[in-house]
Amino acid sequence: MIITETSANGIVIVALEGNLDALSAPKLRGSPPVADPKTTVVLDLEKVGFMDSSGLGAIVGAAREKSDPACGIVLSCMNDKVRRTFETTNAQRLFHIFDDTAAAVDFAATRQIART
Amino acid sequence: MKTILAFREEEFAWSHEVFSCVHPLLLPLCNKPFIEFLIDFAILVGSTAVRILCDGGINPIERYCEDGSRWGIALSYGSLHGDDTAETLLGKNRKFCGEERIMIVSGFSFIRYDKRLNYKSLAGSLPEGEWAACPGGSITLSGAPEKPPADGAATPLSLMPLDGMASYYRASMEALETGADRYVLPGYGGEPGCAIGRNVVISKSAQIRKPVSIGNNVQLLGDTIIGPSAIIGSNVIIDRESSVESSIVLDNTYIGEQLEVIGRIASGNRLNDPRSGASISMEDPHLLGSIKKSQTLSALPRKVAHALAALVMISVLAVPFLFLWPLLKLGGRWRSAQIDCHSENPGETISLGKVELDATNALGATASTLSLDRYFRLFRVLTAELALIGSTPLPAEEPHPNAPANALAYRPGVFSYAEAEQWPATGGDAAIVERYHLVHSGPISDIGLVVKAFVNRPHEKSSA
Repeated sequence: MIITETSANGIVIVALEGNLDALSAPKLRGSPPVADPKTTVVLDLEKVGFMDSSGLGAIVGAAREKSDPACGIVLSCMNDKVRRTFETTNAQRLFHIFDDTAAAVDFAATRQIART
Repeated sequence: MKTILAFREEEFAWSHEVFSCVHPLLLPLCNKPFIEFLIDFAILVGSTAVRILCDGGINPIERYCEDGSRWGIALSYGSLHGDDTAETLLGKNRKFCGEERIMIVSGFSFIRYDKRLNYKSLAGSLPEGEWAACPGGSITLSGAPEKPPADGAATPLSLMPLDGMASYYRASMEALETGADRYVLPGYGGEPGCAIGRNVVISKSAQIRKPVSIGNNVQLLGDTIIGPSAIIGSNVIIDRESSVESSIVLDNTYIGEQLEVIGRIASGNRLNDPRSGASISMEDPHLLGSIKKSQTLSALPRKVAHALAALVMISVLAVPFLFLWPLLKLGGRWRSAQIDCHSENPGETISLGKVELDATNALGATASTLSLDRYFRLFRVLTAELALIGSTPLPAEEPHPNAPANALAYRPGVFSYAEAEQWPATGGDAAIVERYHLVHSGPISDIGLVVKAFVNRPHEKSSA
């Protein structure tokens, strides 16, 4: 799993590449912006080929630890495989999901400004 | 032009209660699933791509509609939040929308349109904003008009909210009566007002009175009278000397002999009165019943694997159980109570023993480590009442989660997948991992997860 961190508009974008499974989930959970409760993160899932329950657990667990659980982690660019995993498990209700990373950043930035 | 179809679960919650056997978006109106009317309308306005958004489960819709190639359009799917505005929806689907004009159809409403009219040029020329609306539903256009304003009379278009059984009945009858003139409806018919599907067996003495719509795989036995204004779904049997008039018989329903069904909606063994909203469930399958596809065979390998594994566990744990249980019971460290929980099948409950172990002394701790508090439940796996591993048993007071949208959302087990995965223990989050494994795991991986749950449970208790 390759984790790339960039930022735009004051929002950290964490792009994932590879499989998000039991092996790589701890790496995601350990990523500083994901683990920091105060940082709003846009998680770009475009290049995630496969995600299992551990990967799902890493994302849900990280969102639960954010000070704003509804918007602390915003998801973007899910492929159909990953989207179905979220929908099958009803986990999509916990997140705002965008099909474009720039739109997700705009949304997160607006929410962050509204909070502060 | 592209179209977004946006639905919120609260809009069609009534349908889950009344027609629990079908996802609300696939609810048939004149034998055509509701969602297909909307897709047809999107095509009429010139859409090349349609995105279906819902804040609840959408898998049955995706399985049915697939990628849209059946209609010659690109269909995609996504999720929304109940409080998302039109602007938020456009933002969440920015890549889908691109620079094109977007029509947002929001709400669980029936669109009254006429396939003979030219909606394409109208939709392309109307200004941005609301095109049509009704309580709980709207059609909104976004983006600059593609064409100059069209001249001529306004093209008729209106919305009817589907907010209950009465409006569903009205919309179905309206579609039947206006017939194939206004909408694309399924079935073959040599004359207007009569559409018949494939593999329909009609007795020589049966009478059909227009307008009627009959689905696929239907048997109309001797001396039956169908119509006027009857909608018969697919996989339906109408038995001898019965009549169906001004009524809807939904898919997989059996209507018994010598019955008169007038102004009703029959669905499985439920008979509904659309005017009053009253509904009764028939207990006598000779009067009214549902025709179900047996799922016993597909579940058999899992049940056999779970039963064998449970048998092994019962044998292995028998010695420590027979030694520890009497001692703990006598010492007052084994407290048990019976609780009613949902069974896998909606409407059925099972009574389960819940054991509280005092693990402060060595005996209790050993029993807890060996999961002896679940020992009695292992026997319920042999009778297939419980899975060896599945969902955490839900108390009977809570709503049953196995709705059509989440057909595999719940299968109570001795151990739960959440225990195996050591997920956060909050109820909602545990359900996420349980649903994941209910869909993805097989009999063999279940055994591996049982071992994980068995090992993890004492660890969870000690860390709690």
